[in-house]
Amino acid sequence: MSAALEVNTLFKHFGGLMATDGLSFRLEPGESVGLIGPNGAGKTTVFSLIMGELRPTSGSIRLDGAELTALSTPARIRAGVSRTYQVPRPFPEISVAENIRVGMMPDSIRGMVMRGPDHARERNLALSVGFTEADLDRVPAELSMGDLRKLEMARTMATEPKVMLLDEVFAGLTVGEIARISDLIQSMRTNGMTFLIVSHDLKALEPLIDRAIAIDRGRMITQGRFADVMGNQAVRTSYLGGAA
Amino acid sequence: MLQILIQGLLLSGLYALIAMGFTLIFSVGRVLNLAYGTYLLAGGYTYFYFAQQLGLPKFAGVGLAAVVGAAMGLAKFQAIVKPLKGNHVAVEISTLILAVVVQAGIIFRFGDSSKILLPIVPGVGRVADIAIPYSNLIAAIVSWVILIALYVFARSTHIGRAMRAVSMDPKGAALSGVDTDRVNAFTWGISGTLGAVAGVFFASYTQLYPGMWVAPLIIAVAVVIVGGIGSIFGTLIVAHIVGFMEIITSSLIAPELRGVFTMILIIGVLIARPHGLFGREEP
Amino acid sequence: MNLRRYHFALWVLFIAGLFLLPWFVSKGTLRTFIFANYLAIFAISWDVLSGRTGYISFGHPFLIGIGAYTTAILTKHFDVPVEMSIPIAVLATMLGGVIVLVPALRIKGSYFALVTLALMELMYQLVQVIRPDLTGGTRGMSGLPTLTRGAVNGYYLSVTLMVVIALSMWLLMRTRIGTALSAIGMNEEAVSGSGLSIVRLKMFAFLASAFVAGLGGAFYVHYLGSVAPRALFDINMVFTIIVAALIGGVSTIVGPVLGAFFLTFLLEYLRPYLPGAERYLIYGSIALVLYMYQPRGLIHIATGVWDRLRRL
Repeated sequence: MSAALEVNTLFKHFGGLMATDGLSFRLEPGESVGLIGPNGAGKTTVFSLIMGELRPTSGSIRLDGAELTALSTPARIRAGVSRTYQVPRPFPEISVAENIRVGMMPDSIRGMVMRGPDHARERNLALSVGFTEADLDRVPAELSMGDLRKLEMARTMATEPKVMLLDEVFAGLTVGEIARISDLIQSMRTNGMTFLIVSHDLKALEPLIDRAIAIDRGRMITQGRFADVMGNQAVRTSYLGGAA
Repeated sequence: MLQILIQGLLLSGLYALIAMGFTLIFSVGRVLNLAYGTYLLAGGYTYFYFAQQLGLPKFAGVGLAAVVGAAMGLAKFQAIVKPLKGNHVAVEISTLILAVVVQAGIIFRFGDSSKILLPIVPGVGRVADIAIPYSNLIAAIVSWVILIALYVFARSTHIGRAMRAVSMDPKGAALSGVDTDRVNAFTWGISGTLGAVAGVFFASYTQLYPGMWVAPLIIAVAVVIVGGIGSIFGTLIVAHIVGFMEIITSSLIAPELRGVFTMILIIGVLIARPHGLFGREEP
Repeated sequence: MNLRRYHFALWVLFIAGLFLLPWFVSKGTLRTFIFANYLAIFAISWDVLSGRTGYISFGHPFLIGIGAYTTAILTKHFDVPVEMSIPIAVLATMLGGVIVLVPALRIKGSYFALVTLALMELMYQLVQVIRPDLTGGTRGMSGLPTLTRGAVNGYYLSVTLMVVIALSMWLLMRTRIGTALSAIGMNEEAVSGSGLSIVRLKMFAFLASAFVAGLGGAFYVHYLGSVAPRALFDINMVFTIIVAALIGGVSTIVGPVLGAFFLTFLLEYLRPYLPGAERYLIYGSIALVLYMYQPRGLIHIATGVWDRLRRL
């Protein structure tokens, strides 16, 4: 279930803007890392580059040593890296169970047609993120923001990733829901899942990560233990505006 | 050669007028009005009814056609476009259904056979042995006058500027106090007027029949897609490309192929440049 | 697969009803039913592509026409037996499906719809000009071999074809592929973000749709014994197909079948009162009001009523 993710001198230009400016880092198998930085630091761009939704100007991304850079998004997901989105993207007209089903499907027409859905696993995934039995048949329009995040999480887990990228998983969640998702992440960590987590909720983030990487304007400022990173003067200046 | 030049210029002016009403809606309302061709249909038949069957003065016939077009545009906005709230696919499907309904209504009232529209201005002028029906000449001149008036209108009047603001950024325009519903309703009215007037000329150029709405719709689509959304300049250029290619194809290759180039242009440009040649990319 | 006992019961009732029909109705009505069957096939084809994936085709006769013309030309000019020409026609139509797929890889929404409309108009014009000795030009072709004689046989052939297509597409769309194709219609990026190749899924939808369109087009031509460009590549034809699918209920397979029957009967019922094309006035108005009122169609209204009844 574990894998290492390696990002090597990644550059991404949008016209004159350097969204990612020579970023390199490595996640060890089973490690959980927080990616922090101010708005516009390039966190979501890094996620999109890792997933292949954006093409880097230069640089490479490797999963367990295997090159991902040339692969399409679905191929990267098959290789074992998967992400959630800051703005949840459910399929609005199908049920929670069917939303999860899409994440569980094999990427072959034959596979989709010949084998039926695995209802037990759909149910387990839904329950593990905190849905109830009754939620399975509900459609996204009836769900709260918290429920949509849970659904996003469940669909991402359904693709059986080895590395999960979580983008603002706690935004819009109640304290109870944050605790529930945190427990889920902790239990997946014990099972060896590798995480890269972006969150503005630093209190919720801290216990979930082994270390933190701070970036600003597409560049790494520092990395290390969460407390050390937060204590770094450059981080305080850029991230907290020097005020804290 | 001169013949192609003159015929091309005359036809292209008319095409620019046809396309203008369509591109207005596409740029301000962001929806494709597949019933656009029915303005031309209604305009042509209104003129036919009043000017030819009732014998009213011709300019009154054109004016009444414009009024009918404006009413249709407003009605369509209020009854279909507004309730569907920017659901593009739903608007396209409903306008397509509406187009067939209007066509059927025309058949119901006027019958299936095609009508000959008497020329708005009878007579034929000659330039170096090339026949120029005055009617076509008037159509081209009126087209140009309307296009220039529209350009001035969009730049110098309050509502024109509001239209431009909505076409560039509907949300921003609404935030800065522009009543987008009013602007939209107004644009639909103008679009209907332009379509109906173009219909009178188009019908006198070709002939008046219930299926007359499809060809101008395709031409408008081609001009808008290739010329880009909301670009008056692009619309003019592409109207001339389409007009001239039709004249060249029909006089040098085969008359039956005159529309083929237009289709190939639409398909080719959309595949090669999904946002059109002069179009701006939606963020 | 998510099949329930009442599904089987409804299908058995429906099929039994259709097969017993010739005992109860006149030959004229039977001919109407034949047309309804073919319309249902075309609407199913449209539904598989546009209803599911949201890639609205305004040029579906382009595909149907390829099937129709291929078998017509092969049987008329090359003496190919029908058993050979129909499979070839279906293959040719699937090739046409690939042509429609190409723009769908780059453009969506309104622009895609317009390309399909342009493809149909292009086909309409080319068929008349290029090799009119083969295609019959503007007049089309007549005197093509027919597969059946008489209304009853024609009815049985068409109803069998329709039922086989409807049932197999219905079953297919109840598997996970149906869910995946619906998901494309809802959010393409999220499908790709779930690890599924959207190109492959779209290809499947387009080929399946073309397969059905080709089959329907080819059999329809050999029922009519003739083919004419104006009747086929016509906006009224597009309208009838789309409205059948919409009125019945898109993305359901059963909906388009119901819609096709509903519309054909509406047309037939109006015939005594409005003999000509004016029927489209009423027909279109009903379709427009129904679509504005319930975009998900009759089947949605019916299941809503059924649910309410069950709760009583």
